[in-house]
Amino acid sequence: MNPADTLEEARRRIGTCDDLDALKEIERELVGRKGIVASLLAEIPKLDPSERKARGQEANALKQAILGLLKERREEIEAGRLDAARRAEGFDPTLPPPRARRGSLHPITQVTRELEDLFVSMGYEVLDGPEVELDHYNFEALNITKDHPARDAQDTFYCDEEGRLVLRTHTSPVQIRAMEKREPPFRVIAPGRVFRQETTDASHDHTFYQMEGLVVGKDISVAHLIGAMKTLLRGIFGRDLEVRLRPGHFPFVEPGFELDARCPFCPSGCSVCKQTTWIELLPCGLVHPNVLRMGGIDPEVWSGFAFGLGLSRLVMLRHGIDDVRHLLDGDLRFLEQF
Amino acid sequence: MRVSMRWLERHVDLADVTPEQLCDDLTLSTAEVEGLERFAPSLDDVVVGHVVSREKHPDAGRLSVCRVEVGEDAPLPIVCGAPNVAAGQKVAVARVGTLLPGDFKIKKSKIRGIESHGMICSVRELDIGEEHDGIWVLPESAEVGQAVSRALGIGDWVIEIDNKSLTHRPDLWGHRGIAREVAAIYERPLHPLETTLPEITPGTPPMDPWPVAIETTGCSRYVALPIDGVRPGPSPDWLRWLLLAVGQRPIDLLVDLSNFVMLDLGQPNHVFDRNGLERRGRGIVVRNARAGESIETLDGEMRKLQPSDLLICAGDEPVALAGIMGGEGSKVAETTGSLLLEVATFDAATIRRTSTRLGLRTDSSARFEKSLDPNLPMAAAGHFARLLAAIEPAARFPAPATDVGDWQDPSTTIELRGDRVRTALGKALPNEEIRHILERLAFEVEAEGSPDEGRFRVHVPSFRATKDITLEQDLVEEIGRIHRYGQIEEKPLHFDIAPPPRDERRQLVRHLQDRLAGGARFHENLSYTFIDDALLEKLGDLDLPHISVINPVVQNESRIRRSVTPSLLPALETNRRNRTDVRLFEIGKAYEPEHANDRGEPRERHLLGLAWAGPRPSKKAAYHENRLMRLQSILEDLVRSWGCHEPRWTAEGPRPSWAHPGKCLFLELEGPAGPVAVVADLEPGLAPALGLSGDLDSEVALAEVCLDRLLEAERGGTGYKPLPRFPGIKVDVAIAVPESMPAAELIGLIEEAGRRQVADIELFDLYRGRSVGPGRKSLAFHVLLQSEKKTLTDKDERKFLQRLGKLLGDAGGEIRGI
Repeated sequence: MNPADTLEEARRRIGTCDDLDALKEIERELVGRKGIVASLLAEIPKLDPSERKARGQEANALKQAILGLLKERREEIEAGRLDAARRAEGFDPTLPPPRARRGSLHPITQVTRELEDLFVSMGYEVLDGPEVELDHYNFEALNITKDHPARDAQDTFYCDEEGRLVLRTHTSPVQIRAMEKREPPFRVIAPGRVFRQETTDASHDHTFYQMEGLVVGKDISVAHLIGAMKTLLRGIFGRDLEVRLRPGHFPFVEPGFELDARCPFCPSGCSVCKQTTWIELLPCGLVHPNVLRMGGIDPEVWSGFAFGLGLSRLVMLRHGIDDVRHLLDGDLRFLEQF
Repeated sequence: MRVSMRWLERHVDLADVTPEQLCDDLTLSTAEVEGLERFAPSLDDVVVGHVVSREKHPDAGRLSVCRVEVGEDAPLPIVCGAPNVAAGQKVAVARVGTLLPGDFKIKKSKIRGIESHGMICSVRELDIGEEHDGIWVLPESAEVGQAVSRALGIGDWVIEIDNKSLTHRPDLWGHRGIAREVAAIYERPLHPLETTLPEITPGTPPMDPWPVAIETTGCSRYVALPIDGVRPGPSPDWLRWLLLAVGQRPIDLLVDLSNFVMLDLGQPNHVFDRNGLERRGRGIVVRNARAGESIETLDGEMRKLQPSDLLICAGDEPVALAGIMGGEGSKVAETTGSLLLEVATFDAATIRRTSTRLGLRTDSSARFEKSLDPNLPMAAAGHFARLLAAIEPAARFPAPATDVGDWQDPSTTIELRGDRVRTALGKALPNEEIRHILERLAFEVEAEGSPDEGRFRVHVPSFRATKDITLEQDLVEEIGRIHRYGQIEEKPLHFDIAPPPRDERRQLVRHLQDRLAGGARFHENLSYTFIDDALLEKLGDLDLPHISVINPVVQNESRIRRSVTPSLLPALETNRRNRTDVRLFEIGKAYEPEHANDRGEPRERHLLGLAWAGPRPSKKAAYHENRLMRLQSILEDLVRSWGCHEPRWTAEGPRPSWAHPGKCLFLELEGPAGPVAVVADLEPGLAPALGLSGDLDSEVALAEVCLDRLLEAERGGTGYKPLPRFPGIKVDVAIAVPESMPAAELIGLIEEAGRRQVADIELFDLYRGRSVGPGRKSLAFHVLLQSEKKTLTDKDERKFLQRLGKLLGDAGGEIRGI
């Protein structure tokens, strides 16, 4: 084959080749060690010396031309491949990815953590207290004597006939336990589970969660209490809410208050605030001198405030949960949502 | 408690005070107002009509056709079915468009061919009484065309106050007490109330005071006033309307007046028929019940009594359960005119105990249990007698009131420091204002020392002194609430900065929660502390010591759990119905009464329970694809990531009832005295009882971790190890051994063969089958050989395998080709 035909043939084969491996094969056949160009070159020594130079140049030119074609084609194929890769053929952007399975933390845990973090950042200590509690801590030391009518309001589960051991009806007993083990000043919170002996329905359960707070220091006043409660509400709702303090009677505080906040869910009345625009959120007050004394603290020197926050209620408010019993019935269809 | 505004106006001027304003002010200064409603709102729409004429309906004998003047251009034609309608009457007319109770709208209609443009109403149609025999005939003086409520002056607002917010305020259980608060809030005078007993008009023969003997400490004062000349009959309208407004059904004069005095002054009282008393025995005796005694109360119930209960007796015969309810025999007979009014003070705790035990709460017991002022009985007797005398001129008081008991005036004096008030409220209230507020609330205030000193002696009137006000701090509340807490500016707290002490328990709880809800994909559950007897029975744990409540809400759920994992078991069935793979954990408290401390507190344990249920793995699944083993590795991860080292598994430990007898392992750590965790398959016998058989047949792995022990475990880094200087070689080796050889033993042999060059051993396959033969198993390991001195070569690997082969040969095993 003469070089011109060879080049023509090479051009045809290279031009129709779509594959890098096949192109390598063509390269080997044409310009490889045993390829066509090599055989052309091998014949040169046999030629008449006058022709050798010209034929040599011719063969080298052929080789260069073929190499050029190969390089060009290779680049084309690579560019085509990239184009094809970029075209993303058959890709369906709406195809659902495999379900990401995850576990979950109970909504009570989530809200408890938020509040713990908020209070810890303000130097409060987080305390734990027993759920099976001595009557002494749950009632007596909190200024609620045996026949105090306030015991009615807290339907109590009794663990023995003598009424010495009860399921705590509030987290307030932790107040006394905290005072017994600490020297003022101090500030603590105690989230936990509490119990009331009452029939359950969508808005009442016999087991629910509260968080107690107690601050003891010098000259603690109602003004400090208001400030602390506003900070707490800001932490919960992420903005300032108007609050109002009104008298509320709890034997372990004096004066005692109910703190209402402007309903964060409506401008002018909704089902959450029962059309009043206020939601009752925090029973609180200055610690009763008798309670300080029961905790071994001199009320002439020290004073304090305490508050209680319904965590179950807060979780329900926050997520719009319509039945409190979901919180404790272990249904994954509920738990998975958090 | 329901409070009528019109009633309040008997005691204090409410001019210019709107009902809404009053509710807000009471809420902010006194007690929680739960609701405000218009009394009988239909009376605001129904107008006074004058029946101009009444004719028989031409086509219906029982109906009348009336023309009723209602102040419009022309009288309205109204067809009326009542037998008592008559020309000339003033009546209550619901005009067309008026909405009556029960969503009943009056429309223009034709009754048997005659047009009717309204309705003449009965009291029942207006929801203010039961009578339905005829229409309500209004007094002659009622002005035609006016709303009935206005014409009769009975328009009223009723305020509902939350009883719970009054538990500490015996003085607020009557209208006068509320009025006293209102007077203080609005700085208006409280109208004086005359309560001295009216004049005694001795009969013939003259009568001695009624004998009363108190034989118990449960009654500190007993006032008895004989009354003659009163016959039971209806009460006057003013009294009926006030009672109706607060939701009391008027009955007859004596009952109504007794209720009125209670709702006015907050002092319960009782009217006995003297003839009835005399038939039983002369004289009242107040005593404790005797063992085995009982009384039939007015509600017809037979009540079994205990010696702690108080009785009012005529002679020896019980006639009333003191302070709670009269006896069936104490009713006033229709014909008698001779009565005995009882007004007494009973011990609050005694009344409360009896009333709670008998489940008998009455308006009377609710008041007595709040500790009533012992000064009240005489005032209430006087109030009753004066009202009665005004209503019933024939009433006479034939003998002086008996007044016995060893009561003491509870009024007291408290030292008050103005500085203390200012410090507690956080507001600079002037001494003058402190004094002024207290005086508005009927405290008497004397300044001590010089006036600027701000020291006071505050005299607490008896009606506030029985329970509520005993300390300086109580006066602070009085000042704060009347001044209004809303007037106090918030202040920031100032404390020395110090981080709170390290809280390892809370850190651990968060660590476990995050790890489990994260990579392990468990869902956190919280379940009840009570555990069902039926579940305990299935588990065979019913005989274990449990704390139990004596008054459970659900009958078989009185026991408090002593372990957390069982609480998760009932949730498995329901969840397996909805979800294939169920992973739950719970961190909670559990109680062991057998380990109580000397104060009687049971031992509290903090436990993490885990339950994992799902379909059984296929036959082809790898050895580690079962939940027990996966749970083991989750537990290892939990403790390692907490910083504990070398978790050890052992089969020796206290197996819980839910655990499979063979597949049960305990996790031990350096430090605590016992295992930190137990992990096991579910005891197979429990699966059907838990609903996990048949179509819900499940592989269930369970675990429980004791947080208290985990907190005792040693933690801390293992220290930095220099990176290997020479590359290691990874040798994969499969070894066939008899079934009886435990993996641990085999791993020991590999370590021995490696001569301290074994840097890591990891099992990656476990195989049983034809190619290893019966009674044998094959375990395949990745073994990493590494030296600190040189690069290991093929030669080292060969030597290792030779040594291993020899050791295995001695133990009945062999290396298989890989």
